[in-house]
Amino acid sequence: MGYFADSFAAAFALLLKLDPEIMRIIFTSVFISLSASVIAALLAIPAGVAMALKRFKGKATIQHLLNTLMAMPTVVIGLLLYGLFSRAGPLGEWGLLYTPTAIIIAQAILIFPIMMNLTVTAVNAADPRLIPTLRSLGARTLPMMLQVIRTTRFAILAGVITGFGRAIGEVGAAMMLGGNIEGFTRTMTTAIALETSKGEFELGLALGMVLLVIAFVLNFLLSVLNRAKS
Amino acid sequence: MTPAYQLSDIRVSYDGKDVLNIPSLSLCLNESTALLGENGAGKSTLMNLLAFVQRPDEGQIALLTQTVGARLSAEQRRRIGYVTQQPYMLHGSVRDNLKLALRLQQIPRPQHHALIEKTLSLLNLMPQADQDAATLSGGELKRAAIARAIVYEPDILLLDEPFSHLDQRHIRQLESSIRQFAAQDGKTVIFSTHDRLQAMAIANNSINLVNGRVTSAPLLNLYHGQSQQQLFNTGKLLIHIGENDTGARHIAIDPRQIIVSDQPLHHTSVLNSFPGRLTQIAEEAGHIRLLIDCGEPFYAVITPTSLHNLALQLGDTVWVNFKASAVSVF
Repeated sequence: MGYFADSFAAAFALLLKLDPEIMRIIFTSVFISLSASVIAALLAIPAGVAMALKRFKGKATIQHLLNTLMAMPTVVIGLLLYGLFSRAGPLGEWGLLYTPTAIIIAQAILIFPIMMNLTVTAVNAADPRLIPTLRSLGARTLPMMLQVIRTTRFAILAGVITGFGRAIGEVGAAMMLGGNIEGFTRTMTTAIALETSKGEFELGLALGMVLLVIAFVLNFLLSVLNRAKS
Repeated sequence: MTPAYQLSDIRVSYDGKDVLNIPSLSLCLNESTALLGENGAGKSTLMNLLAFVQRPDEGQIALLTQTVGARLSAEQRRRIGYVTQQPYMLHGSVRDNLKLALRLQQIPRPQHHALIEKTLSLLNLMPQADQDAATLSGGELKRAAIARAIVYEPDILLLDEPFSHLDQRHIRQLESSIRQFAAQDGKTVIFSTHDRLQAMAIANNSINLVNGRVTSAPLLNLYHGQSQQQLFNTGKLLIHIGENDTGARHIAIDPRQIIVSDQPLHHTSVLNSFPGRLTQIAEEAGHIRLLIDCGEPFYAVITPTSLHNLALQLGDTVWVNFKASAVSVF
């Protein structure tokens, strides 16, 4: 118990003195996950709204596929992208392996189905009179999509936050594609995994606490959005 | 005369059941038309088709003699204003909603202010102009939705049950707004209602819908049941019908074809004669409307002189008499 308490105390001390190494890891982690979230959101929100609005053949199949992809293990994405980005892979010459860009791409792919699926759900849960009203007012495709996004923005934003939460807590793809390079691709989750395996429990614990705080803030934001929605 | 709409071979079904089946129908331009029918008669579905927010499973609809293809052109869309039974207001104030309608209809921005002010004043909505649309009362909401539908000056205004869930004061306000809109040159109003008197008060024409079909029969004295040779069984009465239509499920009797008497009529041509209790006497456009409960309710229209001669009072037992040929079967 003494060891555990000491570790907690040391972790707090690291956080309080704003340890540069920890700050750098937190920054890298937040930067990578935010970038991935923005990219995924820019693609997933229009795709989700379009899918909810349009009737087309194979819609149910795509919905099933999205549901499956939502549960895809991160290491699988890491593995596939590793194959693509490694020197011998088809995209090897881009030199993306062990860069933050590779992790951003992996996380964006990981959270795209989550954001798209939650956007589809948000639009489907909107008032059923919304679309006919916009249609009767002469809304064409793009203005219609923008109005639908505007009306369902709280629910869509909740989906984006859920996606960010998944990205920042992800470890498999970040480890495989980032390589955990200090000061470059070391994220909170990969650092926790490495430091703990090295026996540096304090640093891992400090980062774990930061992750918990982020999770708490995200959940708080989600509950605020839920209240705004209703 | 050019029709506003020309419908041909229209069919809409939900779960394999026909909710609308209209082989042919024309709706007049520059006139007010009421779509009359009970709940579930297909009025809202027909309104959705006329507003082109729903497509028929089969058939064609021509708008101002032009057949509409997969989608309306922006110009065609601008000619129609549609207000649903329970209008949905978008986020923001009443003015924001009107502005959005103008934007979506691609009306040039310099015209927005004048159009909005004119419409708000036409519908007496100036005091609510900057109020959040989500906080409007039932009557204000209906007027705000109508304002949003006419702000871009469409030629055709479609209103689905505009008077439902409104009190008398709001109904009168709304009637007056609709009349004002209809009185403008070249404006067509088509509205649905289940209230025949309301329809007569506003509309030049009326179209009767029964179970998704257009019928020429009046909707007063409408009964559902089954025909058995030359009799129609409503479940409570057996009514002689002129036609031998075994597939018929509905009959209607024009109230003007009913003879009311204090004794049964012994006349060979009057096959239907039912005793009943007089439950309502009302004046309607210079005539007297009686409601007589014979197991089924019958409306009859008589002259004030007949009322005087028969010395009728509420609760009296009277006889409802009509010929088999007065029964419309469909």
